[in-house]
Formats: sequence, C-alpha cells, structure tokens
Amino acid sequence: MPGVTLSRWTMSYFAAALIFLLIAELLMVAGYGYPATAIAAPETLILVHVTAIGWLSLLLCGALYQFVPVLIAHPIHSQTLPLPALAFLIAGLGALIAGFLQLAGFIAPHALCFPVAGFLLSIGFALVLWNLGKTLWAARPLTLPARFVTVGLLSIAATVLIGVIFTLVLGGLTEHGHFINLLQSGVPVHAVAGLVGWLTFIAMGVSYRLLAMFMLAPELDGPTTRSALYLGAAALGVAILGGVPASMAGIGPTIPLLMGFAIGLLALGFYARDILYLYRTRRRRKIELNSRMAAIAVGNLAAAIVLLIALLISDNVDRYIGAVVFLFAFGWLSGLGLAKLYKITAFLTWLECYGPALGKGPTPRVQDLVTEPRAIKWFWLYFATVWCGTIFLIAEIPLGFRITSAIMLIATIAIINELLRARRLLDVKAEIRMPKGASSAHLLYAQVKKA
Amino acid sequence: MPGFVELDVRPILRAGGEPFEKIMQTINTLKPDQGLRLLATFKPVPLFHVLGSKGYTHQEKELGGGDWEVLFTPSGAPASNAATVGADANAKDNAAWPEPVQHLDNRDLDPPEPMVKILATTEAMAPGEVLSAYLCREPLFLFPELAKRGHSWRGGFEADGKTYKVLVRVGKPTGAAA
Repeated sequence: MPGVTLSRWTMSYFAAALIFLLIAELLMVAGYGYPATAIAAPETLILVHVTAIGWLSLLLCGALYQFVPVLIAHPIHSQTLPLPALAFLIAGLGALIAGFLQLAGFIAPHALCFPVAGFLLSIGFALVLWNLGKTLWAARPLTLPARFVTVGLLSIAATVLIGVIFTLVLGGLTEHGHFINLLQSGVPVHAVAGLVGWLTFIAMGVSYRLLAMFMLAPELDGPTTRSALYLGAAALGVAILGGVPASMAGIGPTIPLLMGFAIGLLALGFYARDILYLYRTRRRRKIELNSRMAAIAVGNLAAAIVLLIALLISDNVDRYIGAVVFLFAFGWLSGLGLAKLYKITAFLTWLECYGPALGKGPTPRVQDLVTEPRAIKWFWLYFATVWCGTIFLIAEIPLGFRITSAIMLIATIAIINELLRARRLLDVKAEIRMPKGASSAHLLYAQVKKA
Repeated sequence: MPGFVELDVRPILRAGGEPFEKIMQTINTLKPDQGLRLLATFKPVPLFHVLGSKGYTHQEKELGGGDWEVLFTPSGAPASNAATVGADANAKDNAAWPEPVQHLDNRDLDPPEPMVKILATTEAMAPGEVLSAYLCREPLFLFPELAKRGHSWRGGFEADGKTYKVLVRVGKPTGAAA
C-alpha cells in the first residue's frame, strides 16, 4: 500500500461549494423561493438545487476524493477526472437554474435548458461515479464505511436518473404517460434519493470513521453498524425502487416512502446508538470543535426526524415539510459539512505545507493553523440561526426567516474566513510559519508530488 | 492443477511472534502457478489486501477453535504496483531486516502526532536502522512521506485486529526529500 496522497482538486470543490452556499443564503435573505413562494414553485426549486447540488454535492464529492482512499487504504483511480467533472456539474447546475427560470417565465420557453442540464449533470456525476466506483472496485472486500459510500453512490445514480427523466418531460422531449406521472408524483422520491440516500447515507458512513479517528474511539464494525448499513440500504431500496414504479403507474409513492421511512428509523436508531457509543468510549476527553459541532449536527438530524414524525401524526406534512427539509439540509447536512470542513481544511493544508519538514525541526501542529475559541462562536451563531429559521418557518413568519437568514449569512462568511485563514497559515505564529523544507499551499488545489 | 505450498504460522503466532516476514518469504519462493495454503490462528484480513495487490485471490475457511485456513491462488492478473511491503518492493528488500533499534507506542496520541513522532525519530537514525511503532490505524498519510525520504516500511495489523505495527527501515539520504 503506497498510502494516500493529497487529492489534487478537493480544495477547488470546497471553494465552489462554499460559493454556492453563499448564493443559497443570499437567495433566502432576498426572500427568493420558499417561504415567500410555494414549495413547488420554480424559485424554490432553484434554491433547493443550488443547495443540494452546488453546495452539498460538490462538498461531498470533494471530500470523497480525499477520504474514499483513506476508508479503503487504496489510492484514487484518477487525480485528473475530478476537474472536468466539476466543470460539467457547475455547467449543468447553471443550465438547470436556467430551466427553472424558464418555468418561472424569466427566459423564453423555446430554449432546451432542461435537457441540456440533464445531459451535463449526468456526465458530471457519471465521471464522479466512474472515478470513485473504480477506486472502490479495486479494493474489495470493502470495509463497512466504504459500503455506506457505495450505497450512497447508487443513490445519486438513481437521483440523477429520475432527474434526467424530469428534464426530458419539462423540456418537452417526451410525452410518455409514465414519465409524466413520475414528474407529477415522484418528486419526493427524487428528493429522498438525493438528500437521504446520497448525502445522508454517505455522511453517516464517513462519520463512523472520522469520529473514531479524531476522538481516538474504537473502529466499529459490529452487528449494530451492520444493522444500520443493511436496514438503511433496505429502506432506500424500498423507497426508491418501490417509489419510482408506483409513481410511474400513477398510484403515487406514499406507501413505499412510508415503508422506507419506517425501516429507515430502525437504521437511524442503530446509527444513533453507535455514535453515542463512539462519543462515550473516546479516549480523547477534550474533543475539538469539529467533533463537538458534529454532535450538534447529529442532534439536528434527530430533531428533524422527530418533527417529521409529529407532522405525520398530526397530518400536517404538506404544510410544514419545508421546515423539516430546511432543518435537515442546514442543521444536519450543512452543519456537519461546515464542522468537518473546518478540520479537513486545516489538516490537508498542514500536510501539504509541513509534510516535507516534519521531524527535521520544530513545525506547527495542525491545531496551530486554527483558532477554535474564535471560530466556535460563529458555529454557535450559525446553528442558532438554523433553529430560529426553523421556528419562523413553522410559525409562518417569512420576514423573521429572512432576518435569521441574514444572520446565518454573516456567520457563514465568518466561518469561511476562518477556513481561508487556515489555508493561508495566517493563524500560525510568524516565527514557526515557514520552517526549512515547508512550503505554502495554493488556495484552490494541492500540489501532488510524486514520491 | 496448481499445487499449494503449505505454511502453518500458528506456532509463530502462539509464541507471540510476527509471521509476516515468513509469509512474504514463502510467497517469493512460489512458482507462477503455485498457491499458498496458510494456516493461522485468526482470519488474516490485512494479508488479503497485501497478497491481492500481488495478484493472489483468496478463499478462507474457518477450521474451528479460532483457526483459519486460507488458500491464496495466483489469479493470473499482473500484480499491481500497490504492494504493501516496502517503498521499493524489490527482491533485495525481502531479505531479513535487522532488529529495531527504536520502539514507539503511538496508540494514545492524537492524529497526526503518531506520524510526526515517527518522522522525527527516523531523522535521528542511521541508514539501515529499523524503527518499530504501534499505532491504532494504518498510517496512510505517513507512507508517501516515508517514500519521499527514501525509507522502506512493512506493516500490518496484529492478531487483535486493532493494533497496527509498522516497521520502518531508514534509507540512505537521497537529497530529494524536500
């Protein structure tokens, strides 16, 4: 095993992802999309896709290029493919937004924005899947966290496939009855495949490994972890493989989705038990910002699930699903993403800058690249705005939501500033910043030196 | 029909020894169509990866009493260059290494301190000397740094499946380290 080198384009993905996060928050501040417009309005769909593809998916792809090799102790298949994949994904997202603007009446309807978006996004995600799939395939038998990733990759394939059918119908390229049915009732299946199957399931799998690594806790591969994996995969299978044909047939996906949710709850129960176990059995008593904030994010996942169950029982899902999705996307996925970015950016920058100088003289520690007491205030502010925003959505006070979104934007800018400072080594004491053999890192990519 | 060379490492393991070197020596004596029948006191998962990268498929069977039999069969596919052993997995490198002069137990250190400590220790060692270190996981980010500095390494999980033992042999200064 030659070990794992730095992933060349991971930082470019992170930078692009953070820009899309800022755009999404600006849209919320401007009152663009839900709650000012309906949840299915084109404006809301723009906001949702900027968040889900631009921010969360690019973040996850960038992280996977670096951490799939760590999960499986095998080098990445290609260090080159991520760059064209990024270009296709961003171009595809641009075309998709143009398509939604057509629906909203801002662009003339004759242009083929939707089919072009479907084409570009399929190529982009296919390049991601090919690269990560080849990497995983070469490392069979897979470890448990890598199996979570595999299920997540299958889920994004399903998400894109459903999305492409949507674009064909919306672009007027097909009038097939089953496809029209899918567009009319299959949107929740598309959302579940993307937000739960792709983003959440991979976040779960990777969190097993990262939390164990950063807190000096035991690696879990026992029956509870297996149960979380297999029940989770079964839940997604029922929801997606049941939901798509049910939607196409015109029955609607409610029953498969509810069945998937019930099985998924069991999986999440095992996951919650495992994560509590990791925190309890950690050998590192004082944990860093990223592990503390990850715990808050997991708490938000639990809160979103409880909220959804309450809505299901009180038969209010349609009215308040926006609040659940907001808490899920910004409290759980984005919260975890920002917390882990804070650690990953510092660690990768440290390795790139100081790797060659290690052991040859005094070098900064990873923790010297960050100033946690300053950063953690912004993280708390970020989470506070997520909770307030959720409450304003439930209370149906759109102006309150816009105001908390503005504060959320400020907190996010401050966190991004902390990431830039780490990348630029600005928090490292000047006298140890550049020991002999060290080099500074480029903002957007890593120098991958051959051994 | 390809024959199997049998290697029983159970006595070595029961005596608390490290059979990795013996296994690799045996593998290097195999003819292209020969396989290895390995008997061990645990399921040697790390070996599956190591020998997989050398072009062997494996078939494991539990024998009872905690013992395992694993048949490693040459797959006919060319061995990938992802060999786990050594920075330069050449034939000469499979000769016995001297006893380690430095022992580190880095299992309780926060990452990436285990890596820093190993690199700092190797800087003070003479070429040819060997360091041994216990870690709580495979040090994947350490290996490229060892390779850049011209050091060789061997590593694998201990029988408990939790402790990773790595041996690093300090190479001659290459001047290419920076």
